[in-house]
Amino acid sequence: MLAPRFLRPESSDEAVELLRSFEGAAKVVAGSTAMTIMLRQGLIEPDALIYVGGLPGLREIHEEDSRLRVGALCTHREVELSAEVRAVLPILAYTFGTVANVRVRNAATVGGVVAEADYASDPPAVLLGLGADVITTSPSGERRRPLLSFYRSFYETELDFDELIVAIDVPIPPSGTYAVYEKYVSRASEDRPCVGVFASAQFYGGLFHNVRIAIGAASETPQHVPAIDRAGDESDLRASVIGEIAEAYAEQTDTLDDMRGSSWYRKEMIRVWVRRALERVREDAYASPSPSRSSSIPDEMPRRDQ
Amino acid sequence: MEGEVGTNVVGEALEVSFVLNGRATTVRARTHHTLVDVLRDQEHLYGVREGCGVGMCGACTVLVDGEPQSGCLILAVSAEGREITTVEGLEDASGELSDIQDAFVRHTAFQCSYCTSGFLLATKRLLEEIPDASPHEVKTYLAGNLCRCGSYMKILAAVTDLLERRRTVALAPTKEDA
Ligand SMILES: Cc1cc2nc3c(=O)[nH]c(=O)nc-3n(C[C@H](O)[C@H](O)[C@H](O)COP(=O)(O)OP(=O)(O)OC[C@H]3O[C@@H](n4cnc5c(N)ncnc54)[C@H](O)[C@@H]3O)c2cc1C
Ligand code: FES
Ligand code: FES
Repeated sequence: MLAPRFLRPESSDEAVELLRSFEGAAKVVAGSTAMTIMLRQGLIEPDALIYVGGLPGLREIHEEDSRLRVGALCTHREVELSAEVRAVLPILAYTFGTVANVRVRNAATVGGVVAEADYASDPPAVLLGLGADVITTSPSGERRRPLLSFYRSFYETELDFDELIVAIDVPIPPSGTYAVYEKYVSRASEDRPCVGVFASAQFYGGLFHNVRIAIGAASETPQHVPAIDRAGDESDLRASVIGEIAEAYAEQTDTLDDMRGSSWYRKEMIRVWVRRALERVREDAYASPSPSRSSSIPDEMPRRDQ
Repeated sequence: MEGEVGTNVVGEALEVSFVLNGRATTVRARTHHTLVDVLRDQEHLYGVREGCGVGMCGACTVLVDGEPQSGCLILAVSAEGREITTVEGLEDASGELSDIQDAFVRHTAFQCSYCTSGFLLATKRLLEEIPDASPHEVKTYLAGNLCRCGSYMKILAAVTDLLERRRTVALAPTKEDA
């Protein structure tokens, strides 16, 4: 095993200049929860690691113009416990809180999980369902891309080798929106998902609007198909409508086989969990028809007193 | 790509300085060395253990700036400037066990004890973070620490006991109150 060089730039600008100078042979390291494993198992052999963990200015969370901007270096645990995130996007806090265990969440970063593009991750599907953008910087300047066109395939994204993710920018759903994330695990409770389903809809005038579904962990990249979701718009999300949406996602998702489930099994689980997710959205809306702010918070959200 | 770990010259060993159990420490590490490697091999802190090596079991738990992390997932070279606590840092200067260690002993919350240092450190932060944790919260917080011997019920009893004792101490009148 050849140990790569370890470089510690002091700014994002310096980091991306370094990335450019290595012409693709250098890798960014942030929380290192994925990189350490890949490196030690010999899955990657970069010439250099560019450590961005200590860079200033990439760890802020702030709300502006109905959007929430989350810095790339925020840890999963910070998003999970952030009062700001819980106030405006509780579903995001909840989702980051379902990842791995406390130790991994204390290290793993938002930029890391988005860039890694591991199909078996939780946050990417939820960010996709929420319509998030990825904001990057490179020697050529800043860029914004919708997550919808960011994931290419298995562990592959649109990121250029000299690009650094600086933040994720998430639109805050309008009030009266109910959002849920169902993480279905087929092995241990703290495992990565076999299938993850995000569902949200806005409820007013007795009908549901702007229905959005996203499926994670079932195929090479997370899936969100607006054409399928439209079946739920201006509907009362009755069983037949929900069934139609669940069936379409099960049919259209190109599911994969791994130790968490076969391709066939995943299709079955998509059918089941899309249905359950939408039923929960409907039940939440009927139970409290006018929430002041988006989405429902599961009872067991973790707390922190100090 | 042949070459033994540590013998290559591509990544020069870097000096890394951090505060270890309250004491300023400098180690030398190559890029692929984890915190577990340097704490065991250079600092001889054998309370830091490697189990799975991939973040799942918690045997390697250390506190980084007070928060539990997996030592096996931390590149030692990235620990510059951090404050690291291992199980060896839990007892006080005179060698008196902390109340956390004491509770685990009183409840025999282990068999082989391979997992124990990790559980102790995770418990330390749990008690600070959620002083009135419910049994469900204790289980969720510690879910990522695995015990192959299955001492879970005793660990839960030890942590419940600790939560109660600390609460009692917190409620008891102090000298200043008197
Ligand atoms: C035991 C274990 C269990 C896990 N369980 C789950 C789970 O249940 N659900 C889940 O979703 N995930 C899970 N994960 C994955 C975990 O969330 C990822 O490992 C983590 O998010 C990666 O973030 P990081 O900051 O540690 O990234 P790193 O390991 O530092 O980097 C990961 C990748 O992202 C790139 N990168 C990092 N930051 C940036 C940036 N700012 N710009 C550009 N590229 C960047 C790196 O070059 C690398 O390719 C688990 C991981 C472990 C070890
Ligand atoms: S050895 Fe680090 S978590 Fe298992
Ligand atoms: S006591 Fe043996 S692994 Fe926990």
